[in-house]
Amino acid sequence: MKHVADLLFAPARFFSAMEGKKPGLGIPVLIAVIGAAISALAAYAMSDLYAGMFAAAGTGMDMGMFMGLVGAAGAFIGFIVIWWVVLAGAFYVVSIPFRGKGSFSRTLAATGYGLVPTVIGSALSAVSLLSYLPRITVPVIRNIQDPAIIQAAITKLMQDPAMQEYTLVSTAFTIVFLVWSANIWIFGMKYARELNTRNACITVLVPVGIIILYHLVTILAKGFFMGGS
Amino acid sequence: MTGYRAIPFLLALLLLILPAAAAEQSQIAAAQVMVTNVTLNPQVFMVGDSGTITVEIINNGAQSVAIRRATLYDEKIRVDSRAYETTMYLGAGNRMTFTFTVSAPVPEGIYYPVFSLDFRDAGYLRYPVKLRVQDQPLTVAVLSRPDVFTGGKKEKVEVLVGNPRDNAVSGVTVYPVGEGIDATPTRHFIGLLAPDKSQNVAFQITPGKSAVLEFHVDYYNGINPHTEIIRVPIDVGKSKIQAEPILSNLRVEWSGTYYTLTGDVTNAGLEPANAVVITMGEGAVPQDPYRQYAIGTLQPDDFSGFEVTFSVDGDRTSVPVVITHKDADGNLYTTTYPVDIPAKGTRKPAAGTEESPLPVIAGVIVACAAVIGGIVWYSWRKR
Repeated sequence: MKHVADLLFAPARFFSAMEGKKPGLGIPVLIAVIGAAISALAAYAMSDLYAGMFAAAGTGMDMGMFMGLVGAAGAFIGFIVIWWVVLAGAFYVVSIPFRGKGSFSRTLAATGYGLVPTVIGSALSAVSLLSYLPRITVPVIRNIQDPAIIQAAITKLMQDPAMQEYTLVSTAFTIVFLVWSANIWIFGMKYARELNTRNACITVLVPVGIIILYHLVTILAKGFFMGGS
Repeated sequence: MTGYRAIPFLLALLLLILPAAAAEQSQIAAAQVMVTNVTLNPQVFMVGDSGTITVEIINNGAQSVAIRRATLYDEKIRVDSRAYETTMYLGAGNRMTFTFTVSAPVPEGIYYPVFSLDFRDAGYLRYPVKLRVQDQPLTVAVLSRPDVFTGGKKEKVEVLVGNPRDNAVSGVTVYPVGEGIDATPTRHFIGLLAPDKSQNVAFQITPGKSAVLEFHVDYYNGINPHTEIIRVPIDVGKSKIQAEPILSNLRVEWSGTYYTLTGDVTNAGLEPANAVVITMGEGAVPQDPYRQYAIGTLQPDDFSGFEVTFSVDGDRTSVPVVITHKDADGNLYTTTYPVDIPAKGTRKPAAGTEESPLPVIAGVIVACAAVIGGIVWYSWRKR
């Protein structure tokens, strides 16, 4: 328990304690799997919307359930790949010019530990989804043969006021908890890649900054802050 | 002296013999006059009809014949023209015609008015003319008509005109008459209708209200105008085969700023419904993006989905959905369906209102951000 508290509130102490030890990937994998499971559950919960969307087209609940399962699988794999493997790879690559010395497995382990706040943020986002789901108006698709109708329905679903609000909330949770994870990753990179504080900050903030920037640009592009809902 | 005494006696005898011989010759000449042709117009009279009888005579003898008078008479058939009272000579081999105007204010039957030709120096010629009076008008029948007329909708009505008479009638014209009834064409001209023949005519009838539609058939028998009328009651109501849009699978949802009504509209009638448009009626205010939903043509038994968006005035629990469609003639039909909308308590709360979880969640996010800021600060301070 003390290790968890150190990880979250005193990551310097947490990673200092790991120096000289062989990096274990068991706990980081567990953390990533928990985060992936939460993302998958949230994606599956969205299948209720799709079921309602396709119910009138005669596909019934099967289509919604199928899309929910596909979405859940995608979210599960996506979380592990993007938030853990790809991000660790980005940290590793960015730290190369700084003559980082640690192995990729050490980077992978440090990145995995740093996912704990992101997992917490995902859980909070999923909880907020449960309160928004009943408020989302699902457009009805009556002709599944027409891609234009499906596209229009999905666009309308995304433009639903409750859906837009949830997207905004989810993005806020992601950014806030990503900042916490980034803080852990900075200390993790110092340990994993044997970098000084400045280089560790650059190594982490460049990919994380890109992710945050992407979310902000996406939100602004959809006009969420301009009364679009 | 005795021979001279006989001369006056002989002259007196001659005077007695000569006229008798001349009269005998006139009678022989008059006997050569005969009727060669009789023409009636019309050929068969109707009761009360007027017409003409033309009698043609010929003198087949070698001597001319003096005619003092030609006339036509009958106890029942009325002769409207005067007799030929002028003395005329009919030369050898010549023909002469006499035309009389008659009218037949008599019951149906066969009559024989007598043509009489009085010779000046002989007797007379009597010739009965056969004149038929037939009290049989044209028959008019409605061949086809819709069971129920719809106000303002054009319907086809077929009329059969038959001629059961023994003579042809001319100038046959058919036209419909009725209050508030519009017909296309306004009249049909058939013209000559031979005996035992019939003719179909069709009209597109558009009634404005319930009325009695009359089909008038005007025709001429000779010079006499006649009219036959057939009456067709027009009951304006709902057509048995007209398009009938039915709503089903209705679903009303509150999306925060407006209601969304989705459902299916099916044409349960037997005719196509053209230009089907769905919108909201009184009490509901159509809103973008789907103020109206145009479906187009719905064939019988065909259906289509629709979606309309609206808001409501006040605290209504039901709003009317208005379906309009047109028939093939462009007549507009309106059907209204009441649709229940969710009560206030069950409406989905609008985003951004006090029922929205956004304030709470935003507070959580801000709190998290503050805590995380503190954690970050703490983690760096501990170094």
